Amino acid sequence: MARVAIIGVGAVGARLARQLVSTDADEVVLRDVDRARLDMVAQSLGERARIDTAELTAPIDADVVVLAGRARVHADQADALLAGGAPIVAVGDDLSDVRGLLALDRRARQLGTTVVVGAGFAPGLTCVLAAHGARRFDLVEEIHIAKAGTGGPACARQHHRSLGRAAVDWRDGAWETRPGGSGRELCWFPEPIGAQDCYRAELPDPLLLVPAFAGLRRATSRMAATRRDRLTARLPMLWPTHPEGGPGAVRVELRGQRDGVRDTLVLGAMDRPAVAAGAVAAVAVRFAIEGRLHRSGAAGLAELVDPLAFLQDLAARGVRAATFDGAVASRSGG
Amino acid sequence: MRMIRRAFVAIGMAALVAAAVRLRGSGGVPPQSGGWRELSGPELD
Repeated sequence: MARVAIIGVGAVGARLARQLVSTDADEVVLRDVDRARLDMVAQSLGERARIDTAELTAPIDADVVVLAGRARVHADQADALLAGGAPIVAVGDDLSDVRGLLALDRRARQLGTTVVVGAGFAPGLTCVLAAHGARRFDLVEEIHIAKAGTGGPACARQHHRSLGRAAVDWRDGAWETRPGGSGRELCWFPEPIGAQDCYRAELPDPLLLVPAFAGLRRATSRMAATRRDRLTARLPMLWPTHPEGGPGAVRVELRGQRDGVRDTLVLGAMDRPAVAAGAVAAVAVRFAIEGRLHRSGAAGLAELVDPLAFLQDLAARGVRAATFDGAVASRSGG
Repeated sequence: MRMIRRAFVAIGMAALVAAAVRLRGSGGVPPQSGGWRELSGPELD
């Protein structure tokens, strides 16, 4: 039985804890600044859950540490907790968090441990799908990510914030920033999500994909949004966040060369984002515990795991990937 | 009179903003055929 520390028991952290306790029979140690929430989650998990009221970044005795709390502090938390030597799995999708976590690569290598960056729905499942799809190509030239839906309140706030901020795209070997809310594109997600208008936003997927795929010319990420979302993205949130959003989806479009011919492959998945993120994080934790991560250092799942084995484990937890069979419209813009 | 003028200005500005939001981005073309299928069998073996 492994001991897994989970810092932050919001929608994703609680789902992850549930998976680890019920499916994997692990012991979980929970930390959160919200004591009432902590009590409620621990009580619902039973005797395998233990509350730890220490500071969030205080040393912790665990086989793996998961960062699932509020955004924009993950890099500092990981920096403080790395000294303990346990692998760290970070679930966030904030661009500054991902940048900060990737910057810990050298330190993690020196310590001989791993920081899994972006182990959620997107990034996370998107990276695994990209790595899985890439096996069909001789050379992957473009990866375009799209996501729809939000998990808990923190995810909804992050969605709102990122739509109003500049997207970071990889284009012909250089990073480019584009205005958030621009670049409307109709993306077809797995049913029942279907067609959604998607826009550029401050999303971290390209930062994780570019190091994983040599020869990648373009990497972009978009999110589904309504016109009202775009209009209000630069304002404070005008209404309270919902406890949890409805079904969401991710879509990964790969373009490249296969047998000398240009080819396109579209993969995706549909689920409640917090549920899927909890399952992805749980599989990432199992990979870390079982020593199945490819290397030490800080990187995304596309670099760290065997995508086929990861998707098989994920399917066993009810999160199933899908592929789009049929003609895909040609892409003209960025 | 001044109130009517202000109302027209507000409506005009709202229309401009709506047009800008509507026109930014090129949209896309829906798939002409095919559909989503769960990965199974050899694709996950």
